[in-house]
Amino acid sequence: MNIPNSSTAPNTNEYAGDEVSAIVLDPGYNTTRAGFAGEDVPKSVCPSFYGQTDSDSGPQYLFGENAIHTPTARLGIKNPWGSDGIVEDWETATKIWEYAITSRLTGTKPTDPAKNGLNDANGDSMEVDIEALENQEKPLEDSPLLMTEPGWNTVKAREKYLEIAMEEWGTPAYYLHKTGTLAAFASGKASGIIIDVGASHTSVTPVLDGMVLRKGVQKSPLAGNFVSNQIRLMFKQSSPEIPLTPHFMVNSKTQVDAGAPSQASMKVFDIPPLDSFRRHEEERVLTEFKESVVEVWPGPGRFSNGTNEEIAKAQPGRPFEMPDGWNQVFGSERFRVAEGLFDPAAALHDADNPIPKADHCIPRLVQQAVSHVDVDARPMLLQNIVVTGGSTLLYKFNDRLNHEINTIYPSTRNKLIAPGPVVERKYAAWIGGSILASLGSFHQLWISKKEYEEHGANIVEKRCR
Amino acid sequence: MASGRDVRDMLGLSVGGDAQKTAVQKRPKTTAPTRRIQGVAREVAALYGERPPPVAIFEEKKAYRAKRQSTGPAKRWVQQSFTNQARIDDLMLKHWRRKPAPQSAITNGEDSAMEDTENMEPFIESNAEFLKYNVEPEMPTFTDEEYDAHLRSSDWSREETDYLFQLVAAFSYRWAVIWDRYDYQPSANSSLAVQEPSINGDSSQALAALPFAPSKTRTLEDLKARFYEISAKLMKLHIPEVQMDADQYAKYEMLAKFDPALERTRKTLASALMNRNMDEVKEEEFLLAELQRINMAANRLDAEREELRSRLEAPVPNQQVAAGLTAFTSSQALQALFQQLFQQDRSKKRASGGAPGRLSLAGSDILATPTSAQHAQIAANRRQSMATLPPPTPIRNLSPQEEIRYNVSTHDRLTSGVTFGSDKLLKMRQAKSNVQTQKIAAALQQLGISDLISIPTARVADVFEGLIGKVGKLLDVRKVREKEEGECRVLESMKARLNGGGGADGAQVDGAADGEKLMKDEIRDSQEDVEDEDEDEDDAAREDDADAYGEPDDVDNDVDADAEGDDEDEDAEGEEDSRAQSVRQPSESMSTRHISAGHKRSASVLSQASTKSSKRVRK
Ligand SMILES: Nc1ncnc2c1ncn2[C@@H]1O[C@H](COP(=O)(O)OP(=O)(O)O)[C@@H](O)[C@H]1O
Ligand SMILES: [Mg+2]
Repeated sequence: MNIPNSSTAPNTNEYAGDEVSAIVLDPGYNTTRAGFAGEDVPKSVCPSFYGQTDSDSGPQYLFGENAIHTPTARLGIKNPWGSDGIVEDWETATKIWEYAITSRLTGTKPTDPAKNGLNDANGDSMEVDIEALENQEKPLEDSPLLMTEPGWNTVKAREKYLEIAMEEWGTPAYYLHKTGTLAAFASGKASGIIIDVGASHTSVTPVLDGMVLRKGVQKSPLAGNFVSNQIRLMFKQSSPEIPLTPHFMVNSKTQVDAGAPSQASMKVFDIPPLDSFRRHEEERVLTEFKESVVEVWPGPGRFSNGTNEEIAKAQPGRPFEMPDGWNQVFGSERFRVAEGLFDPAAALHDADNPIPKADHCIPRLVQQAVSHVDVDARPMLLQNIVVTGGSTLLYKFNDRLNHEINTIYPSTRNKLIAPGPVVERKYAAWIGGSILASLGSFHQLWISKKEYEEHGANIVEKRCR
Repeated sequence: MASGRDVRDMLGLSVGGDAQKTAVQKRPKTTAPTRRIQGVAREVAALYGERPPPVAIFEEKKAYRAKRQSTGPAKRWVQQSFTNQARIDDLMLKHWRRKPAPQSAITNGEDSAMEDTENMEPFIESNAEFLKYNVEPEMPTFTDEEYDAHLRSSDWSREETDYLFQLVAAFSYRWAVIWDRYDYQPSANSSLAVQEPSINGDSSQALAALPFAPSKTRTLEDLKARFYEISAKLMKLHIPEVQMDADQYAKYEMLAKFDPALERTRKTLASALMNRNMDEVKEEEFLLAELQRINMAANRLDAEREELRSRLEAPVPNQQVAAGLTAFTSSQALQALFQQLFQQDRSKKRASGGAPGRLSLAGSDILATPTSAQHAQIAANRRQSMATLPPPTPIRNLSPQEEIRYNVSTHDRLTSGVTFGSDKLLKMRQAKSNVQTQKIAAALQQLGISDLISIPTARVADVFEGLIGKVGKLLDVRKVREKEEGECRVLESMKARLNGGGGADGAQVDGAADGEKLMKDEIRDSQEDVEDEDEDEDDAAREDDADAYGEPDDVDNDVDADAEGDDEDEDAEGEEDSRAQSVRQPSESMSTRHISAGHKRSASVLSQASTKSSKRVRK
C-alpha cells in the first residue's frame, strides 16, 4: 500500500503520464543538461566547454567537468556555440551532448566513456576507439529524445539536430522544442512571456498556448558573460588594479589585510595550459563573485538616478577573497557591474568593450517582444512573466525587473513568476521538457525514425512548430 | 465522605474481618479482567500496581499505521512495447507495465520465466488511452466549384486562401499564432501560371497586373476578414438563412458582420489604453473614484427629492402604474404586456357577446410600436380600474352637514384616557429636531397665529393640523430649493467655463437674472398643490419665497450664466429639453392621475424651456 505524500511520485494516471524512458537534452552555452523524462532534475549536468590539446596526431578532445579543469599541458578550452547563440561547431557539440547523455544516463552501453577515447589523452587509442564506436550499438537506440533549442534557431540548425539524433545516436523518436515554452511549462503556464538570462544570451520569448510567437522572440548578448566582463572591467579600472588569479595557479596562500597585495606561492608548470584555459578558470572565480558579491540595484529608478548611488554607498559592503588571498570589501561598485543589464548607458566600458546598445537591455527586450504580439493577448501574457536562467539568480534581480516592467506597463497587471529553488530556476527548460515528454498525450507528437526516413530532415519544420 | 466502613465504625460493628473479606473477594475480580499491556516489560508493568497507570498508554498495536500487507512474492514488471493509436505510423515505444499474471496455475518461478520469453515477444499493447486528446479543429470546407462560384477575391489567390486555411487548422484558430506564423510565399509555378497571359509585357508590369499582390504583409484583421467571409458564405451556401437555427444564425451574423476596420480601431484603442503612462493611469484612478463619489451623492440627493415629492403629492401615485413604468422600459416587456392585454381584451369581448368596445384591441396591433402599446396600456388601465373597483358598500353615513350639526365624529381608533385639546395642538408644533421646531414656530408667527390658541376645539385642531402639515412641506421645499439652487449655480458656472470667457459683464447679470427666474418658476411649480386652498398660507409662502431669495440673489450675481448671444449653446439646451420631455411623455400618458404628478415633476424642465422662450421673446 502506498500512502501518497510529498515524497512519493504521483500516480501516472493523475497527470496523464505515460513514461517511455525518453531522454531530455537541454544544451546551453554554459552547461548541457540531460536526464530522463519524468524526473524532477537533470541527472547529468555537464559543462558545454571542451578541452582541446593539439598533438602531432591531430587534435584531441576532453569532455566533462574533471577533464576541463585539470591544467594539462597546452590545454585550450573552447565552446561549440557561436556568438549568435546557435551551434557553430557541430562535430564537438555532438560529442559534448553525447557525453552528457552517455556518461550518466545510458551507462556504458555504447562504450565506457573512460575507455572510448573521448577522455583519453593517449592519441593512439583514439582512432581505434572511434572505429569501434561506429560498429557498436548507437547510444540512444531505445530512448526517444526530446531536445531543446533557442527561440531563434535557424531551420538549418534544427534539421542538423534531427540528423544528429537520428543518424548518429539512432534514436527511435525525436522531438524538438523551444526552451521558452518548456520553461513556461515548468512553471505550469502554457502562455506567458519568458525571460531567460543565461550565460551567453538573454532572450525574451512570448508564448501563447504552448506555441512561441516567433515575431516576438528577442535576444541580446547582455547576460551572464556580459556581467563577468563587467566585473573584469571593474577590476581593471579600479586603482590599484585588482588581480584576478584563478585557483589552479595558486599553490598556497597566506592571509593578508584587505586591499593588500597577496602573498601566495604560485604553481609552476613546465608546459602551461593555454590562455583560453586560464580565462575559463577565471570565469569560475567570477561566477563565485557573481554569486556572493554582485547585487542588482533593486529600484525604483536606475542606479544612476538621483541619489541612488549615495544610498547604495551607505549600505554595508560585501567582502570577497580571491583564490590567492587578496581580499576587499566591495561597496557601491558591486551594483554597477550588473546595472548594464537594465541600463546599458551605465555599463562600464573601455576601448575594447564599447557601451552596449540601448536596445539590448532587458526592459527594452520585453517591450519589443510585447509589441510584436497581438494587442488582445498582451495583458494576459504580462500576467505570466516567467523568469529563468542562471543569471537571474543575481541578488535582487527580480525586484529590479519587477520595477522596470511596472514602469513600462503601469496600466496592466504584471506578474513575475520566478521559481524559488535554484535548480528550478537554472534548469527550467529541462524540467519543462521532462514534464512534457512523460505525458501520455505527447507520444503522438514524436517524429519517428520511419517518418524521418520517409520525409527527410525537413519534417522537423512541419512537426515541431 | 462516609464510607460503609465509617458507618460500621460508628455503629460499633467489627471492622477488621469484614473489610478483609471484601478485599479478598474483590481481588480476584479486579485482577482477572486486567489485560497484560503489550510491549511493556513485565517488571515495568508490575510497578503500575493495581491502579490504572497515570499516563495513558497507547498500545503499539492500536496506533494508526498502514499495515504492510504481504501480497505474495514481488510482482514482476516488464518493459511493454506499445503502439499509440493516435499515430499514423506504428512507432513502437516501451513503458513499464506490471507483467500480466500467467494464465496457467503454475507459479513455479522457472516455468513463468520460460513463459516470459515465449509469450511476451509477440504481444504488443495498443494504446488508445490518449487518443481522446487528439482533437482536430472543425473547419469549413469548400470544393473547387464553390470557390470559383462564390469565394473568389481580388485580393486573395486560391493558393493563399488554402494556405490560410491550413494555418487556421494547424493552430486551431489561435489567431495570434496564425498571424505570427503567417508567411505566405507564392510558389513559383503558380505565379508563373498567372503571368503567362501577359508574358509579352515586361515582368514588372505583369507583376503589377496580378490580381493580388504577391507576399504582401497582411494584418491579423485581413486574415480574419478573409476567413470569416468565406466561412459566412459557406454557411449560407450549405444552410439557407431561413433554415438556420438560432445558434447557427447568431454565428452566421457574427461572421458576416466582421468589420476589419472597426476591429483595427478597437485594437489601436486597446494598445493606446495599454501604453498609458503612470500619470495617466493615476489620473484615471483618481477620476474614477471621484465619479463614484459624485454618483453616490447624486443618488442620495435624488432619493431625498423623491421622498419629498412623494410627500407633496397627497394622492399616493398609482403604485401599479409606477411599477409598470419601470418594468416596461424595454420593448420586449412592452410586447409581453401587449400580449397579455390582448388576451384579456379578447376574453372580455367574448363574454360581452363580441360587441367591439371603444378601446378594444385588434390583432393587427400586435406588431405595433412601443408607443401604441403604451396607449393600449392606458386604456387597459382605465378598464381595469373600472372593472376591479368593488362598488362602495352602503353604510349608514351621516352627511357632513349632519355630522357638524350633531357634532358627531368618527374615529378609526380611539386612544384611551382624556387629552386636552391644547396639548394636542402643542404637540403638533413640535418637530423632531430643535431647529425644525424653531422654524415651524417662526413660520406660524409670520402667519400671525399666536402661541396659544384660545379655543382648541376638534375642528380647530383639524385645521391646525392641516396647517402644520403644509408648513412642514413648505420648509422641506425650501430646503430642497436651496440645494437645487446650489446645483444650478454649479451647473451654470460649469457652463460658463465651457463657454470660455465669452460672456460680457452685462450678459452675466442677465444670466444671473435668468437663473433666478428659472428657480422661482421651479419653486412655484412645485408648490402648486401647496397654494391651492389656504390663501393666507399661500401669501406667507410667497413672502417666504421672497425672503429666501434675498441671499441667493447676491450669490448668483458672481456666477456667470450663459451668454445671451450664444445661439449654439441654446440649441443644445433646447435639444436636451426636448429629450427630457420626450422621456417624460410615457409617464404622462400612463394615467391621468399620474399626468399631473408627471407634470409637476417635470416642472423644472418646463420652466427651463419657459425661461428660454422668454429669453427669445426678449431678444
Ligand atoms: N547564483 C548565481 N548568481 C549569478 N549568476 C549565476 C549564478 N549561478 C549561475 N550564474 C550564471 O548563470 C549563467 C549560466 O546560466 P544558464 O542558464 O545555466 O546558462 P545556459 O542556459 O546558457 O547554459 C552563467 O553565466 C553563470 O555565471
Ligand atoms: Mg539557457
